[in-house]
Amino acid sequence: MSLAHHQAPRRNFPLLWHQVRYEQLSFWRNPQSAFFTFLFPVVIIAIFGALFRDASGSSYFYGLSALQYYVPTIAAISVLGACYSQLAIVLSTRRQNGILKRVRATPLPAWTYFLGLLAHCIMVSAVDVALITGVGAAFGTPLPTHWAAIAVALVLGAASFCALGVAVASLIRNSEAAPAVVQLVLFPLVFISGSYMPIHSDMLNRISGALPVRPFNLALMGPFAQHSGFDWKDLGVLLAWGAAGTLIAVRRFRWDPRPE
Amino acid sequence: MAALRPDQAKTGAAGAIIGTRETQVRPRPGRYEIDTSRSAVTGSLDARASTRIDRTEFGVTAYAAGPAGSPRRSAVMVAGLRKSYGTVQAVRGMSFAVEHGEIFALLGPNGAGKTTTLEILEGFRSRDAGQVEVLGLDPGDRSHGRALREQIGLVLQDIAVEPYLTVRETIARNAGYYPAPRDVDEVVALVGLAGQARQKVRALSGGQKRRLDLALGLIGGPELLFLDEPTTGFDPNARRDAWQIVRNLRGQGTTILLTTHYMEEAQALADRVAVISGGRIVAEGTPATIGGRDTARARIRFALPVGYTAADLPADAVPADGLVTVETAEPTRTLHELTGWALRHGTVLGQLTVDRPSLEDIYLRLTDHDGSEHTTEGNP
Repeated sequence: MSLAHHQAPRRNFPLLWHQVRYEQLSFWRNPQSAFFTFLFPVVIIAIFGALFRDASGSSYFYGLSALQYYVPTIAAISVLGACYSQLAIVLSTRRQNGILKRVRATPLPAWTYFLGLLAHCIMVSAVDVALITGVGAAFGTPLPTHWAAIAVALVLGAASFCALGVAVASLIRNSEAAPAVVQLVLFPLVFISGSYMPIHSDMLNRISGALPVRPFNLALMGPFAQHSGFDWKDLGVLLAWGAAGTLIAVRRFRWDPRPE
Repeated sequence: MAALRPDQAKTGAAGAIIGTRETQVRPRPGRYEIDTSRSAVTGSLDARASTRIDRTEFGVTAYAAGPAGSPRRSAVMVAGLRKSYGTVQAVRGMSFAVEHGEIFALLGPNGAGKTTTLEILEGFRSRDAGQVEVLGLDPGDRSHGRALREQIGLVLQDIAVEPYLTVRETIARNAGYYPAPRDVDEVVALVGLAGQARQKVRALSGGQKRRLDLALGLIGGPELLFLDEPTTGFDPNARRDAWQIVRNLRGQGTTILLTTHYMEEAQALADRVAVISGGRIVAEGTPATIGGRDTARARIRFALPVGYTAADLPADAVPADGLVTVETAEPTRTLHELTGWALRHGTVLGQLTVDRPSLEDIYLRLTDHDGSEHTTEGNP
């Protein structure tokens, strides 16, 4: 029986944009998500700014000033928050509340839903990074010069951490456990990746270099502070983690709060 | 196991509406198509179907003609459906058909398999065995997913709506997911939320959220609407309002499959009812005739006058709940004898009522023992 149904490719882009708009709307209306996504990293960089405003380059910060070091790492943390933490928590909550099942009840294709979330997260991350760069500049940190490399690292990093966020949401059943699981993974990872203080242990750096956070820090730090361009090796590690996250998400993601 | 019978579902009330919207003309960029695959019966097109045709900018007049002689397919066909969760058999050989334009109710207690059946039809759950067709498509086949969901509306059991959007925004967002959605404000008004259109969803009462849920089920202009216990938790007024909305939808040609554990709901809404117990259909028919309601014996009930015993009465009476009950196949005669007896003795029959078994009585009798044979009764 023919259903006279034909995919209308022209409809897909407007549909994606429609979805992104409503994701943005729900995000900005939720004071909690806006607060934690923007305020936390901005407050941290402002505190570091006040603490280290006059510090000049030191070998502890690999020859950079403290703020030159912290602007990219805190920017990376803000992207982790906007993508990985936010998505893992939002998706497991939406699933538990039955909202994801409702999404599944509509003709909205799954890939449009996720692409919409991804685009939303990248936009939020871009705002975050711009804010942190601005605060850094206010404390006298020179602005980066290689914007294209920053954009590539930002988009690739955001996409990879989104994929990992969806993967974590796929693996947790219970939304109440989501924030704890998210932090449990993130907190030690951020620490050993040198986000809050430089790590001068080769062994630790080798380990964290194979995990997703340190490569993202480095991929941002190059164009931000060291006038270097694309950091292909670290971008490659990020991409691999993104692919792994996507694989888990595709195989394990559930829409139904009570799966079979 | 009952095989699916194509003649199973002739309905009185729905009959008048069968024949709407069998020919859909969907505007597509660069091409116009007339889908006559769902074979057609002549009939008046409802307002919305006409609108769809008008949009093609064709003077289409071919809508009455379907492939000659081919029987019209049911909106929903289920045959020999089975589903287990581990060792629990939730659905044990279910068969029924829902015809276009009717309201069909799956009535049964909690845990009878209603929601499992519905979720298989909605494509949320896989089935272990049996055949299922929804608008001619297999809901278990993912490749049809989008096509099917463009034509069906779902109102699920639990309330789930995003808190931070307004009522209108929530409905407008979902409208964007469908190729030919209904007008957002029209749907807002239809479910009675016009006064709340600009309110945030989090500020709505439970009943209002439920109506928003219904609006989301309707916004795509579905040909077939699934309602899973649509009025659970409603107060009587809200329930009556919801029923009227559902009847209006049927009036516009929407086919509705609902589950409920409220007898009144099945009675008030459904053209046909299937009573489910233990994962099977134990009876099927119209609310008026199911389980032999129309031919069952009448019951006369009253309070025994003071100073008399049941043995003094001119008919066999059984005491129950402080009253006595007389069952009779000839209520006119028996009532005459009883009231005559009371007048002769200078007494009255207090709290006198005459009724037939309610749908509730039938339902309780049918769902009392699990696993009885599938009986299709009272189906004209």
